[in-house]
Amino acid sequence: MTAHRPRILVVDDEPQIHRFLKPALDAAGYEPVRADTAAEGLREIARRPPEAVVLDLGLPDMDGKAALAQARAFYDGPIVILSARDRELEKIEALDLGADDYLEKPFGVGELLARLRVAMRHHIRRAGAEPVIDVGGLHIDLVKRQVARAGEPVRLSPKEYDLLAQLAAGGGKVLTHRQLLTAVWGPAHVEDVQYLRVFVGQLRQKLEADPARPKVILTELGVGYRFAEVD
Amino acid sequence: MTPPLKSRAGPFGYLGALALVAAAGGMAVLADRPGQGANLAMIFLLGVLLSGLAFGLGPALAGAGAAILTYNLFFLEPRLSLAIRHPADVFTYAVFFAVAAATGWLAGRARDQASLAARRAETVGALLQASQRLSAAATPDGAAQVLAEAVCDAARAPALVFLPGRRGLVQAAGAPALAVLSPAALAAARQAWAQGVPTGAGTGEVADAGWSFWPLEGLQGRSGVAAAAVSRHKAAEEGMVAAILRQGAVAIERAQLAAGAAEAEALRRSDRLRSALLNSISHDLRTPLSTILGSTTTLIAYGPSLEPPVRADLLESVREEAERLNRYVGELLDITRVEGGALVPRHEMIDVREVMDSATERVVRRLGSRRLSRDAPESLSMVEADAGLLEQALVNVLENAIAYTPDASAIEVAAFEDRGHVVLSVEDDGPGIPPEALEHVFEKFHRMDQPSDRHGGAVQGAGLGLAIAKGFVEAMGGRIAAASPVHEGRGARFLISLPKAIATHEHLL
Repeated sequence: MTAHRPRILVVDDEPQIHRFLKPALDAAGYEPVRADTAAEGLREIARRPPEAVVLDLGLPDMDGKAALAQARAFYDGPIVILSARDRELEKIEALDLGADDYLEKPFGVGELLARLRVAMRHHIRRAGAEPVIDVGGLHIDLVKRQVARAGEPVRLSPKEYDLLAQLAAGGGKVLTHRQLLTAVWGPAHVEDVQYLRVFVGQLRQKLEADPARPKVILTELGVGYRFAEVD
Repeated sequence: MTPPLKSRAGPFGYLGALALVAAAGGMAVLADRPGQGANLAMIFLLGVLLSGLAFGLGPALAGAGAAILTYNLFFLEPRLSLAIRHPADVFTYAVFFAVAAATGWLAGRARDQASLAARRAETVGALLQASQRLSAAATPDGAAQVLAEAVCDAARAPALVFLPGRRGLVQAAGAPALAVLSPAALAAARQAWAQGVPTGAGTGEVADAGWSFWPLEGLQGRSGVAAAAVSRHKAAEEGMVAAILRQGAVAIERAQLAAGAAEAEALRRSDRLRSALLNSISHDLRTPLSTILGSTTTLIAYGPSLEPPVRADLLESVREEAERLNRYVGELLDITRVEGGALVPRHEMIDVREVMDSATERVVRRLGSRRLSRDAPESLSMVEADAGLLEQALVNVLENAIAYTPDASAIEVAAFEDRGHVVLSVEDDGPGIPPEALEHVFEKFHRMDQPSDRHGGAVQGAGLGLAIAKGFVEAMGGRIAAASPVHEGRGARFLISLPKAIATHEHLL
């Protein structure tokens, strides 16, 4: 075990969560770091930035979103949020504040590890700026602004292309409605979710093998969209 | 404000005046000497004067007439004849009438003023009384009833008060009783409410309603409508009734605002309770499930590569969390029984020391490094209670003590007798309960914000334990109480007290 073990900071006030996450992360080849409060977690991030952070939004000492905002001030690594299903709004706000992904409690360890892997890979890609993306037979060249499906060029309107580029650049990261609307249509249109519905529908018609069962642009119900993981 | 001048003497005044004249006649008979005619006339004049003073104008004039007749007939020559011999006598009679008119009018005015003053005093008194009763009325309906009674007294007629209800204007109060109104009268009431103008009899707004209606204008708006079975001018609405209506309008408005505030508060409370319940279910069911799911998926994915102690710990955590879930579901069922009234305690003779044993047995695994001591006398009276409910109540109190004390705390459970009761006491030396939280400890979903045991994680449980304990103990006819601090500003003590059972022959068998 001499290979580099990525450090994963788990910030959660429930001791039972640490109890199983520690051995699970350990067995999956990570180095788990435990924090029971937001303050402890922020201190740990500042002291020695981990490769990724798992952050429970329901912390006793600080509002989870406030903790996230503070962390984002000096840490741009992947942050995966743990939240309860009935806290939909909280979850979306956390994503808007820069969380990479979220997981609803209760969750299986496999799912958490998968989300962590995606978030970390995306972070690496964001740092290295990958200009060409291949997924599900789709080829996207972000430099030449060209899209091809099974080798055939696909014609997209400028807005369609902008939206696809945003999603593709996000990798497997969830992008909220607000984030996508702001990036493509501008801050004046953050409430116009129907634009998004229409354009995502059009993109799926042009890009998906079966638009009714999308494999490339995935819906996160009530939250936003995510791009399929890169092959 | 000035009431019309009129004699309130009635027929008795006239009879009185005639009696006075008759008395004067009697005195004149006694004083009758030849040549005394003018002096006798003075006696009759005195009678007329007294009639005027005592009974007012009308009786005085009647008295004057009677006096002249009597004097002329019996005392003036020629006697037993109405013939007037001297013209001077005509002058005498004119003086009679003048005196009667003057004294009668003066006396009447004085009396009217006195009665006016008395009525004013009565009005002020009645207003004061109405205002006191109105300000004491706690509900809109109560204020409406007081107002109806005051209007009834003031207008000397049946009175009603209408208040806005969910389906429009409704009769809220009536004095002497609620009344059945004609459609025309109801229309007049609605008009007074809608337009804010007096309606009904005498206003020309709605003819023939038989009732007068006045809108009740409070400080912030219209609070209702008052009615009296009188025509409007007769009710002197600019006087007593108007003053009472103004006060009533404000009192009803105040009661309505207070009722609205109370309703909003009740709604807020039930809303808070609902969200507390949802929060509790969400958090307290999901946390153990997270652990169980997380631990089992870890074991499935990495089981073979985990160290044996780690595997054992994961399995142990699954067991603990399953037990926690079971406890929580049990608590939800218990509180449902308490709330739903489905709780029927059994009545059996029990020794609370046995209950202490089994309850401490049940919590011993959760104690950690806390010390639990027991103290009970050799002989203790039995109580008549439900052993299962009492045990659960004690377990809940003990678990509360464990949850709110740091590791290495001391918890003592004791039993003793006190004035016909057997008392179970659970005492800890933890940080205690702040005074503002003490009165809420037995409320559902009440959890203290700052658990003392920070590093053992958040306080577990739904905040139902003590509420259940209270429900169970009270269902058995016992009482539960909390006190804190108990030792030098620290610690908390919970007491469960049950009446001692009387050992009957049947029980001894």
